[in-house]
Amino acid sequence: MKPKPKTPPKKSTEERRKSLAQLLKNKGTEIYEDLEKGKFPSFSVPSRSVSNIVYDTKLRQYVLGSSVSLRSTRNMSQLRSFTQLMWLAFFANRLVNEKKSSTLRDIYYSSQAFAVDFEDQPESDNIIVDLEAVLTRPREDLHIFPEERSSVFGDLTIEYTVPGYEGKRSNLSDHPDGYLIGPSLSSCELVDTSAELVIAIEKGGLFTRFVEEKVDKKFKAIIVDTAGQAPRSTRYLLKRLHDEMGLPVVILTDGDVYGEHIAMVIKSGSANAAHLRELTVPDAKWLGVWASDIEKYKLPTIPMTESDIKRITDLQKDPRYQEGNWKKQLEIFLKLKRKAELEAFSKYGLTNITDKYLPEKLELAKSL
Amino acid sequence: MSSKGTFDQISPSEFFYRNRDLAGFSNPTRSLYTAVREFVENALDACDQQGILPDVHLSIKAVDPEKPDPKPYILSVKDNGPGIESKHVPLAFGTVLYGSKFGLKQARGMFGLGATMAILYGQITTNKPVFVKSSTDGKIQDEFELILDIQKNKPIVLKHETQDTSKTGLSISICLEGDYAKAGAKIRDYVYQTSLITPYATVTFDDPKGEKFRYTKIVRSMPPAPTIISPHPYGVDVETIKRMIGDSKFSIPTVDNNTIEKVKTELGLRKKDLNYTEIMERAKRRWSSLSRNIRVVIAVMSFLKMDFAKLSKIRIDDIDVSRKKLTYWDFGESKSFTIDMDPETDYYKQLTNTVQGETLVSFLTKRFQRVGRTTAEKFADFAGFKPEKRIGTMTNEELVKLSDSLQKFPTFLSPDPSCLAPLGAEPLEKGMKAFFNPDFISVIQRGASAYSGFPFVVEMGIAYGGDIPPGGTKVYRFANRIPLLYDEGSDVVLKVVEEIDWSRYKVKGDPPLVIVSHICSTRIPYKTVGKENVADRPEIERELRLALQFLSRKLASYMSKRGLAEMEKKRANLYLKYLPLVAQFCTELAGKQKEPDYKKMLKEAVSIEAET
Ligand SMILES: Nc1ncnc2c1ncn2[C@@H]1O[C@H](COP(=O)(O)OP(=O)(O)O)[C@@H](O)[C@H]1O
Ligand SMILES: [Mg+2]
Repeated sequence: MKPKPKTPPKKSTEERRKSLAQLLKNKGTEIYEDLEKGKFPSFSVPSRSVSNIVYDTKLRQYVLGSSVSLRSTRNMSQLRSFTQLMWLAFFANRLVNEKKSSTLRDIYYSSQAFAVDFEDQPESDNIIVDLEAVLTRPREDLHIFPEERSSVFGDLTIEYTVPGYEGKRSNLSDHPDGYLIGPSLSSCELVDTSAELVIAIEKGGLFTRFVEEKVDKKFKAIIVDTAGQAPRSTRYLLKRLHDEMGLPVVILTDGDVYGEHIAMVIKSGSANAAHLRELTVPDAKWLGVWASDIEKYKLPTIPMTESDIKRITDLQKDPRYQEGNWKKQLEIFLKLKRKAELEAFSKYGLTNITDKYLPEKLELAKSL
Repeated sequence: MSSKGTFDQISPSEFFYRNRDLAGFSNPTRSLYTAVREFVENALDACDQQGILPDVHLSIKAVDPEKPDPKPYILSVKDNGPGIESKHVPLAFGTVLYGSKFGLKQARGMFGLGATMAILYGQITTNKPVFVKSSTDGKIQDEFELILDIQKNKPIVLKHETQDTSKTGLSISICLEGDYAKAGAKIRDYVYQTSLITPYATVTFDDPKGEKFRYTKIVRSMPPAPTIISPHPYGVDVETIKRMIGDSKFSIPTVDNNTIEKVKTELGLRKKDLNYTEIMERAKRRWSSLSRNIRVVIAVMSFLKMDFAKLSKIRIDDIDVSRKKLTYWDFGESKSFTIDMDPETDYYKQLTNTVQGETLVSFLTKRFQRVGRTTAEKFADFAGFKPEKRIGTMTNEELVKLSDSLQKFPTFLSPDPSCLAPLGAEPLEKGMKAFFNPDFISVIQRGASAYSGFPFVVEMGIAYGGDIPPGGTKVYRFANRIPLLYDEGSDVVLKVVEEIDWSRYKVKGDPPLVIVSHICSTRIPYKTVGKENVADRPEIERELRLALQFLSRKLASYMSKRGLAEMEKKRANLYLKYLPLVAQFCTELAGKQKEPDYKKMLKEAVSIEAET
């Protein structure tokens, strides 16, 4: 039942690092030569304005359209942000070469050592996204991580590449709290696994329950806690587990519109990351909790808020929700105007969710 | 005797004494300020009229500095003007409505009122005399000590001495109740602004606290002195016309012994007695040298056919020119006689002229400015009068019609501005430069214009930056070279300034901006007796607006040049900051050792047009 590994991308972490270093060097050289020639250098930054974000049905994710804007040093008003972008490339290059990682907040403060000033962190965050778009590489490749972390547990052997741990291996079932998905997990090589499935789950509480109930063994699964909306490093890991290890990915969320969308973002990305293409698992499957499960399993519910309902109507305009189960569940939510959490299964006993619901849903998923 | 009470006539001084707040002497604060103004303005007026570059020294000293305000102060003003002839001094300063500036021309003072009111106020509040020193020849100085007899509107000279001197000029010193604590700011403002609009004058002020303010001459040329001119037809009302007719018309002299003596003197017959025919012949020979009064008496004699002896025994009762009858009372016969006058004789014409006044056409051409014969005739037609209509025969209704028509006749030439004395663009500019040391300045003097028959000229200057503090537009308003300091709210100048949309002229925020506005006119249309704000006459408003728009356009073009320069500087700084960083970062990225040579680009960067 293990799907065949997808063809190309067993591209090792080291290779990725090298190609990124080359990319950065090329950009640097371009600009260096411009200056030598007395030419004002510029970057082409793909436009991230709403009008340039389109849904690519083939890739099954949001992508940026063809519109690019030129950030040129000829233009006085762009000189500062050009320099910021330049600095970031320079700084990321050091991070990558020195195999050091930093957080978004670190970046904001580091800039000050170089007389490159950012007004505030949103400004530096924004420049980071610009650089991602210029290089078409996620910031994690540049060793820049957000503060939020999620975790993973299961039989997966990895080999670290971070300095001081090079070549060292770990099995991710060694620690019962799971492993943080941080810089070292983002840059490690995936070596081996006996698992046949990845279960991504929205909530830390349920993740712990799953570990306790040995879901990893019972279902031959690697369990990932997305801690709400999955951070990019988590989505990146999910993608690698799917692409490199050939594991199918299933998702369990709360039974509400936010849960449904958490699943959708893992499957086909977010508009915010339309400039990146390596963060989606198009084959991932949302197991539940569906709106239809609420009635079917007679789950205790809570009423929806105004903003829940607004979110439903917004998503109904999204091209990805125009058909199939995605569309149907939204409609049912809207009709019920009530929602249910994953914990609602505890009404039938604490293990009900792992003993009954999960197997039923996995069985059902095969036909999805 | 009637028991209904008595009618008293009060003297003009009495009147002004009772209504002194009208003239600005309502309380110690206001009075001190007004007194300063009156004396300083008199000094400047006197110098202006004689073409003397004024040096005016003002000093205010407390009689007892320890006392709290209000308290007595000694106010002295000294000038280097022409002085006043000794015999006029007591009258000029001891009588209200005695002055030399009644004529139709621009001056600061107007009614022969100011100085005397200040003196009057000082005398009432401190019971001290006024000291005046005056020299008209620069050799001898008359020194007076005067007090006023308010009831009689008459000066009383307490002391009059003469001294040797080397300078002409006048100095005056009074003691008055004042409140410098409250009036000080106003007075200092007044002195400052007066110097701004009088850049050809040196004005100094020693204040009671020992502070000295010195404003020395900035220019050494004076604006040409204004000339006195006749009124413009648009500028007169019925009352004025009546007064003008009165001036031009002689009443029939009474033929008494006094008159007969005068006739004899003019004919050279004081020692000689001639009969009637001989008298008439002699008169004919000397006609051209005879005065008007005498000619009238001769004309009357020609109809009476009497010699001097007979003439002294009658009384003329009526001369009816239209019915050509002359009536007299003969004392000898105790009887009234009426004789016919022959209308064909020159003597008859002489009488007509005298009694009925001149013709409408001659009245208009001689008594008004810029009215020629043709215009006068066209006007007569317009107003429905015969051109040769005698103005002395006009009834009250006709006079009203005449006055109305004068206002309505569309084609009178605009008023003659030679009676005005604007400061001139150049001195205004120099003055403003010296006062504000601005980054930008522009001034304009508009051509003469008129409202209701009164000519006026608007001068305006605008200054930006330099020593001017930011905080928004400051407007200095002047009228006839007098600063207008208070009651700003409803002034026409401020209205025009407020209406301007500065953003259209590239002026933003609270700019360091000064506007100086000067209106000159034979009559400034003040809104209040306080003479601090000018009413909005459309003609004046229009001139002010045009002047301000002109200046604002100049300012705008300066501002955009300045904007470009600032932009260039900003550019240069930005590139200087960022280009080295870009060079540093790309060098490391590209894996090079040496930084690229970007220095030449710094220069080029500045010249790039801003791209947006
Ligand atoms: N400083 C002076 N120098 C020469 N003449 C003066 C001076 N001050 C006043 N006078 C004369 O005295 C007159 C009366 O002055 P004032 O009472 O202030 O009336 P006004 O200034 O309205 O004519 C003036 O018209 C002027 O002829
Ligand atoms: Mg005066």
